[in-house]
Amino acid sequence: MSALEETVDVFGATLTRSRFVKGAGAMVVGLSFVGTGAGAKAATGSEIPLLPGTAHSPNVGLSDAWFTIHADNTITMRTGIAEMGQGSASTAFAQIAADELNVPYSAITEYVMGDTDRTPGGGIAAGFMFLGAPNIRKVAAYIYQALLGMASTQLGVPVASLTVKDGVVSGGGKSVTYGQLVGGKALNLSIPVSGDPTSFLGLTVLGNPPTKPMSQYQVVGRSIPMRTIPTIVSGQATFVGDVRLPGMLHARVVHPPALGAKLVSVGQLDKKEFPNAQVVTKGNLVAVLDPSEYAAIQAASILAGKTKWTSWSGLPGSGNLFTAMRSFDYASAPVLTGVNKGNAEAAFASAATRLSATYEYPVEKHAPIGPTCAVGDVRPDGTIYVHMHGQNPSMLRREIATMMNTAVDNVVVRWYDGSGHYGRSNGGNTGAEEEAVILSSIVGKPVRVQWMRADDMQWSTVGPPELSDVVAGLDSNGKIVAFRVNHYSTAGQDDRPVGALLAGLPTMPAPAISPPPGSFSGISHGISDPWMYDQVPNALQKGFGTWNMGQGTPKTDPGYEQNIGLRGHSMRTPGQRQQNFAHESMMSELAAAAKVDPIQFRIDHTSAKRLVAVLNAVKEKSGWETRPSPSPKAATTGEKAVIGQGCSAMLRSNTYWACAVKVSVVPKTGKVQVLNLVTAVDPGTVVNPRQLKRMVEGGAVMGVSEALREQLVFNRSGIVSRDWVTFPILRIMDVPDIETVIIENPSVGDIGGAGEGPNGFVPAAIANAIFDATGKQPRRLPFTPKYVRTLLNG
Amino acid sequence: MASKLKIKVNGLVHSVTASLDTPLLYVLHNELHLHGPRFGCGLAQCGACSVLLDGKEIRSCVTPVAAVSGKAITTLEGLPALWAKERGTTASAPALHPLQQAWIEQQVPQCGYCQNGMMIQAADLLSTTRNPSKLQIKQALNGHLCRCGTYTAIIEAIQQAARTMAKGV
Repeated sequence: MSALEETVDVFGATLTRSRFVKGAGAMVVGLSFVGTGAGAKAATGSEIPLLPGTAHSPNVGLSDAWFTIHADNTITMRTGIAEMGQGSASTAFAQIAADELNVPYSAITEYVMGDTDRTPGGGIAAGFMFLGAPNIRKVAAYIYQALLGMASTQLGVPVASLTVKDGVVSGGGKSVTYGQLVGGKALNLSIPVSGDPTSFLGLTVLGNPPTKPMSQYQVVGRSIPMRTIPTIVSGQATFVGDVRLPGMLHARVVHPPALGAKLVSVGQLDKKEFPNAQVVTKGNLVAVLDPSEYAAIQAASILAGKTKWTSWSGLPGSGNLFTAMRSFDYASAPVLTGVNKGNAEAAFASAATRLSATYEYPVEKHAPIGPTCAVGDVRPDGTIYVHMHGQNPSMLRREIATMMNTAVDNVVVRWYDGSGHYGRSNGGNTGAEEEAVILSSIVGKPVRVQWMRADDMQWSTVGPPELSDVVAGLDSNGKIVAFRVNHYSTAGQDDRPVGALLAGLPTMPAPAISPPPGSFSGISHGISDPWMYDQVPNALQKGFGTWNMGQGTPKTDPGYEQNIGLRGHSMRTPGQRQQNFAHESMMSELAAAAKVDPIQFRIDHTSAKRLVAVLNAVKEKSGWETRPSPSPKAATTGEKAVIGQGCSAMLRSNTYWACAVKVSVVPKTGKVQVLNLVTAVDPGTVVNPRQLKRMVEGGAVMGVSEALREQLVFNRSGIVSRDWVTFPILRIMDVPDIETVIIENPSVGDIGGAGEGPNGFVPAAIANAIFDATGKQPRRLPFTPKYVRTLLNG
Repeated sequence: MASKLKIKVNGLVHSVTASLDTPLLYVLHNELHLHGPRFGCGLAQCGACSVLLDGKEIRSCVTPVAAVSGKAITTLEGLPALWAKERGTTASAPALHPLQQAWIEQQVPQCGYCQNGMMIQAADLLSTTRNPSKLQIKQALNGHLCRCGTYTAIIEAIQQAARTMAKGV
């Protein structure tokens, strides 16, 4: 007998095995049986550059990079997509993988996330179910088919006659475990992939291996506890802030007093007071490094007072935001269209009633509880290690390589637990990483950069504002004949790292009219809140975009690419959050004009059964009073609280949502309290009901917080909000009673997204409830006591 | 100027070197490598850094290390032993405090960054109020911020832990 290396097609994947000649025929027969079909054909176009499988980059085209089946039948799973906290992606992904592999959930004993030198695929920690899950399903399905073929050979039984349960393949009276089949060695299954792991969305696994129908999933659908929780509650989790390397220095950065300020002179520190402190500058990046963390904090505070900068005042100021937004240049970037049905303009002429309103959504802040932190470690051999927490470690890798003018393969990003970012870091950096690497490269030691609270509020990206002009008409029967909305916003995805910008080092391009392929940094403004009311004959949504505030434009400012400005960025339920506030507020305003109950009014304008079902669910659970708004008891004066009800709905990532809230408003003080909040969600297949419930509750709290509390305060020079007093968020005392109705709908055949959503539709529901209570419609977030008093007095 | 100090943390006396005004948080993190308390704001506004000082919740980010000498500090890591002591058992400490167990069973944390302070404040509350109402829980925890919005789960977990602790198991 002699050794033979043979390759076998597995639905477009390629299994390479060293075998003895005897039995090889059966092997080929077994696998060629499964290796035909569309999947194989689709995969042939995948001649893409794979990372080489060096010490710093796993070979993403091998299934072994994704899953290792150990001899004891346990499994290690790896994904470049990392955890982001709102529900556990590792738990949900492992549930999906267990189902596709036909193993119990407990077989996946280890899950490695995010580390770029030992996980595959890259990709963003967002849209987990529609961006991340398909890759995992496919890789697991390829492996499953390969294992079937191998078992067929070993047992001498055709694949069609095999049964699999809990990682044991049986047939012909014999059985073999996955662990025995793989034998603790590499599986050597090449899977077809395309794309670049360091791109925004990461790698895509190609082909169409047979996946299990979701209706047959058994691990999916169970409320398995989050893998991440036990270490968090016991204090044993390693968050990025806990990373300590030998010889590491603590750094605090002295950020400029204005977004566009340039360094004039750096202050000096008293050597007696700070004997070990080291002041480091690179361009406009100024930092203090010290072996003692508290010394670095104190020294940075003193240095900030002694360092001189040029003045800069290129922002409109938040008090003037919506007036200023009228004057921005929306004509340069292409106008994007959402629904475009019939002829809204012409139809307005026939409307019996015409309503028009402008809705205003302020600049928002992701505002993680933990300010950004990272450790940079530039080694003498040129290898750059970055220890970080964020939503796209692989894309950060490319950003660091660009900044340091080195090959991607020389950069290793290690991922840790950390504070939720709600979208802020889905383009790689969180702010501290580049600063840490720059400083480490200068001092030749590992450097830990921990932003203070004010740094995080004032130097991270922001959720862009939105101005929405809506015009709608009702016919004489109270039905909508036309609905037209123009949405205006500033740039929505600027991932240029602030450290590189301050230091004057290379970054990715700034937001542009025509961004590079694969980039999401175009300044055009897309429609993110899809139109759900298909019974409206004429509807038109348009989006108008422009550049970041304060960055200038490439037309007027030669320094545009390196100007910082108020960098807009996606934030939980991006774009849709802003737009749904306008759409769903106007829907209730129209219902009131038509004198129809607002839930019924929505139902009357859609044929989408899933939408009707979620609306009926919140109606039933919330103790909804079926009647038009405003309430017969509505009042705009008095010290006594008036009660109102409001609703809203949303479609996002193939998930239908509806919400009903009850609020109290004290007209004299303007204080709004949300008393009850009921959400109904239909995501199709539910992966983990309890995680979904918790995620929805949390998203709803964020929605109440945005509606009642949040707005970023900035003046002409920069962000003024610097802490939790100047950027208040909802506290536990103001949390309503929350109820969540989960509608499982497996016939959809898809897992809809649900980590985003509630913070998008809750503000409109609260606005509509305030109208119900008072007869006045609030159209500008947040509904602070001062704003509500003004509204009621107007 | 750095001084040598002795501080008692989770039942053990530690010798540490730090300037007297160093906030306790940095000593816990950098000298004792205790990672339960976390840096959130440095301003006593969010509660991520909370520890118990003689059983009462304090903000370690603004408490000078010199102010805790002679007193007993309990961090998240020390809650199981604290629970064993409260019950008067001499057996080895349980793996988890009933609050930590309830936090798992109720699946409270999302990102988890703030949860240290929530559990520490809850331990303080339950030491004086054995069966707190929802309103009492809200009042006690109103100085702690969670951006993931886990407040509903926190209330449910504290109520569960209170029931467990009342049984003394």
